Amino acid sequence: MQITINDKIIDVQGQDTLLKIARREGFEIPSLCWSKDARHKSSCMVCAVKDLSSGQIIPSCTSKPVEGMRIDTQSEEVMQVRTLSLELLLSDHRADCEAPCSLVCPSKLDIERMLNYYDKGQKEKAFGLIKHAFDLPKLACENCKAPCEKACRRGSIDTPVTIRKIIKELTKVVDATKVDEIENVAIDKTKFQSRLGRFCESEKARLKETVSTPSNCLHCACAGKSACQLRTHATTHKIKRPGYDMSSALQVMSRIKINDTMYFEPSKCIRCGLCVYNSDNGFTFKNRGFQMEVNLPEENKKNIRVELASLCPTGALYIVEN
Amino acid sequence: MSQCNCENNDKLSHHEVMAKMDTIIDRIGSSRRVIIPLLQAIQDEFNYLPADAIERIYERTEIERAQLISVSTFYSQFRHIPYGKHLIKVCAGTACHVKGANNVYDSFVRELKIKTDSVTTDDKLFSIEKVACLGCCTLAPVVQIDDKIYGHVAPGKVGELISEFIESNKAEEEKTGKANEYKLSGEVRLGMGSCCQASGSADIYNELLTKANELGIKVDIKSVGCVGVCNQVPLIDVVLEDGAVKRYPNVKASEIKEILHHHFKSGSLLRRFKNSIINHVDNYHTDTTWNNVVWKSEAERTGLINSFLSEQKHISTEGYGFLAPLDLDEYIHHQGFASLKKVIAENKPNQVVRDVLTSGLRGRGGGGFPTGEKMKIVASSTQKDKYLICNGDEGDPGAFMDRMILESYPYRVIEGMVIEAFATGANKGIFYIRAEYPLAVQRIKRALELCRERKLIGRNILGSNFSFEVTVFEGAGAFVCGEETALIASIEGDRGFPKQKPPFPAVEGLDGRPTLVNNVETLSQIPYIIRNGANHYAETGTENSKGTKVFALAGKIKNGGLIEVPMGISLNRIIDEIGGGVEGGEQLKAVQIGGPSGGCIPAHRCDVPVDFDSFRQMGAMMGSGGLVVLSESDCMVDVARYFLSFTCEESCGKCTFCRVGIRRMLDLLNRICSGSAKMEDIDKLEELALNVKKSSLCGLGKTAPNPVLTTLKYFRKEYEEHINGLCKTGKCKDMMQFIITDDCTGCTKCAKACPVDAIAYEPYKVHNIDQDACVKCGLCVDECEFNTIIKVPVKQEVYANND
Repeated sequence: MQITINDKIIDVQGQDTLLKIARREGFEIPSLCWSKDARHKSSCMVCAVKDLSSGQIIPSCTSKPVEGMRIDTQSEEVMQVRTLSLELLLSDHRADCEAPCSLVCPSKLDIERMLNYYDKGQKEKAFGLIKHAFDLPKLACENCKAPCEKACRRGSIDTPVTIRKIIKELTKVVDATKVDEIENVAIDKTKFQSRLGRFCESEKARLKETVSTPSNCLHCACAGKSACQLRTHATTHKIKRPGYDMSSALQVMSRIKINDTMYFEPSKCIRCGLCVYNSDNGFTFKNRGFQMEVNLPEENKKNIRVELASLCPTGALYIVEN
Repeated sequence: MSQCNCENNDKLSHHEVMAKMDTIIDRIGSSRRVIIPLLQAIQDEFNYLPADAIERIYERTEIERAQLISVSTFYSQFRHIPYGKHLIKVCAGTACHVKGANNVYDSFVRELKIKTDSVTTDDKLFSIEKVACLGCCTLAPVVQIDDKIYGHVAPGKVGELISEFIESNKAEEEKTGKANEYKLSGEVRLGMGSCCQASGSADIYNELLTKANELGIKVDIKSVGCVGVCNQVPLIDVVLEDGAVKRYPNVKASEIKEILHHHFKSGSLLRRFKNSIINHVDNYHTDTTWNNVVWKSEAERTGLINSFLSEQKHISTEGYGFLAPLDLDEYIHHQGFASLKKVIAENKPNQVVRDVLTSGLRGRGGGGFPTGEKMKIVASSTQKDKYLICNGDEGDPGAFMDRMILESYPYRVIEGMVIEAFATGANKGIFYIRAEYPLAVQRIKRALELCRERKLIGRNILGSNFSFEVTVFEGAGAFVCGEETALIASIEGDRGFPKQKPPFPAVEGLDGRPTLVNNVETLSQIPYIIRNGANHYAETGTENSKGTKVFALAGKIKNGGLIEVPMGISLNRIIDEIGGGVEGGEQLKAVQIGGPSGGCIPAHRCDVPVDFDSFRQMGAMMGSGGLVVLSESDCMVDVARYFLSFTCEESCGKCTFCRVGIRRMLDLLNRICSGSAKMEDIDKLEELALNVKKSSLCGLGKTAPNPVLTTLKYFRKEYEEHINGLCKTGKCKDMMQFIITDDCTGCTKCAKACPVDAIAYEPYKVHNIDQDACVKCGLCVDECEFNTIIKVPVKQEVYANND
């Protein structure tokens, strides 16, 4: 069978999808809801291509070639559809890629990561991470106007995390000379930054009630950001802000512990269903329409395998390293 | 359908619940795919899905938790919390919406003091919900409480309506003790079309209730949607046990007792004797004789039926007005099953397919795909098992054609189905009917039984080698299941996610087998084609759209109802000649056609002929056949928003453009309707709408933007006015307010009517409305006898104050 992709004539054999054929031929097509060898149903439309014969926009991840098909994978129209699908997904993705505190720190400290160590009681590691920025015993934070504390999301709930106080405490309890430095990776600001937006009243009440870490930190930064394809594609499609109002039917920052190492955060989920289709009586869909969510019943947690986390295209399902 | 008995449920012990569950599971089965029938049976039993009952499913069937949550939360029929004793369903169909259903809903909530996060009253007596469409569009706005339908419900009369319901319910409960002893003798159907209502069918309804009680006769008194003949009203149909119908047009309240007594016998001999004496005496006193009721022919009573019927052509509804739904002999007598006999006698299946192709018949469900082509694909498959599904999942708000056809002409649909099965070699048939249509389900089931007895379905049909088994599947409330692949998914026991096409169901459908899915109306046209010849059929209609189309004509129309018209007739003729023009002498503004998938055709384009392609060219769509007439007092932006909020709820949620895109369109429309949008938002809305249309994967998403796109195309000015803070019709509440002019006499009537006390009680003074408290329900306007309360735009008021 012969088909044409962007004017290139291609001989096709077998039952491969357009996505596979195009990628094999060197045409780049992004995808989110598709994963190699996993069961899936096309839904995200990030892999959209245009069938020039019918004029239809189709998902390349499930569409099969037919004789004489002419496919366009890179026109402006196709790009616009992909960008719009990402924008729509992002408008329902109320989550931070990076913590606001870390984003605004003039010394580029990854404050949230530091607080993460702190909250786990690993004060040496916490100190090690920020050590490079201080000419101890002089504290770099001393004269800082602390934009981190102003940006802190906890501040909109009750009081911001007392970041400077915690740093000061660290310098007191940790012996600087005995601590190894941990590399502080500055945030790459060229990447897309998803932002959570404002908490609504019920979210404030819930978070105030439920989040009580030693530092009081909400840990806004996404634990799954390194493998997040949503962010990668948003960056390559040069999205700055989603062009539509943010709103979601899901509660922000609700972290569901699945087992010792796995967590699920529904508000980051793009409902692609990879975890649903690839778990046996595990994850399931609930409700329909805009209200549709991916749900994990308590009783089904035992059916979730660790490998499932690698299928999630966002930071909704992730593994926590201890 | 069992009445709510949740009070009893509380008293059921765990053991009893388990016993009931085991009976249900034994009856329905335990495989994965029976989940929907199983949940329906449980809800029938318990009135909702109790948690411990669900646990039993996990223990005893193949159904697992993930599947159960997925399915039970997808279909709107299923309830996870117990409801109150009585369920109030406020119809939110298109016709009801344009006639103020939201105000009615709000009034109920206020009147019953239902809390914002709840749907049930504190005393657990009433629960309330909005439903997509009750199919009584000509009665709009419509409310159903349990089995009783109330038409033309005014927001101000809600209190009365509730007390009336409680009264009549009490009276019924007192009777039930007696009535239960008697066998259900049949039913009385009261045509409650708008015309019926106008001529006093509400009185007839009450009279039926009281007299039936008086006589101790237990009949079901059903208010049915307009059956079409809106000119011979009020009209009642007495449906006897065997399904035979006796129709009484132009009845008077005084005749009711005679009619009931004539057809139904009360339970006991003594009672019967007593009744006959009472009647005798009654007649003697009132001088009303039996002659008045029965012996005059229908024609004599009604005179000539006028233009309402003259423009129509009955193919799907052949036998209109006289055919008893379940009387098989009568159907056969009127050439019923003649087509099937012909087809089987000739034994040329391919010829049947060719005939359907020649006839030019196109699918009536909305898409308009040539029916013959689909049949050809299925017929060409060599697989042993092939399915044929009758799609009766009519979910459009504002459409009830399929319900009417299934209820009134079950044999015609069955005949069409068996003919198609014979032509394509299908051996299994499924009727997929919405559970919201209990009467249709019941009729089809009974009709199938009767057909089986006569060997019209089942093994060796009419003595031939051809066998075709037919079952009924009840849909559980999801608009998207009208899409054929979603429908198939739901039969397979999954949520109604559509599948990507190709492969088309005709190639790979239910259980991977070739499956022919046809709409009810399509099937009902088949016998006519076979009997009268494809060429004869093709004479009716236009170049590319042949035959007739059934429409539900409703909205701001004088004579609404169900009509069947030849393709090619113009919308203007439908409105003026069949419908008698716009209600109340208003100007026609637009016609909404095709429900949430269709669009609005403006008045100046209503010369367009009814035709698949000409509608599509205008950005609308034939859809399944809702035809809602809109007048100058309707806001087009509000209409667009209404349909979008429907599709937003009904989207299956799988794909991005439909799930999130429609929601974002709705956000924009909400902003526009509240006056907080900017001019750019219109362009943004249009761009998004075009992309949702282009990039959605199934029919729902691809057509959902149509109402927005057509109103943007033809009524863009109205959108712009909204941006400037003006909704000329006053439908967008945020942009208007009520004020009282100086002509007010201070009669305090409005103050008494106000449900939120926004008008201070000050006799003989010009009243004033507290705008902060006002909920803009408009009750005061109805109440004021001096027309001193007027709607004005909020913005204009601001200007006036500045002067």
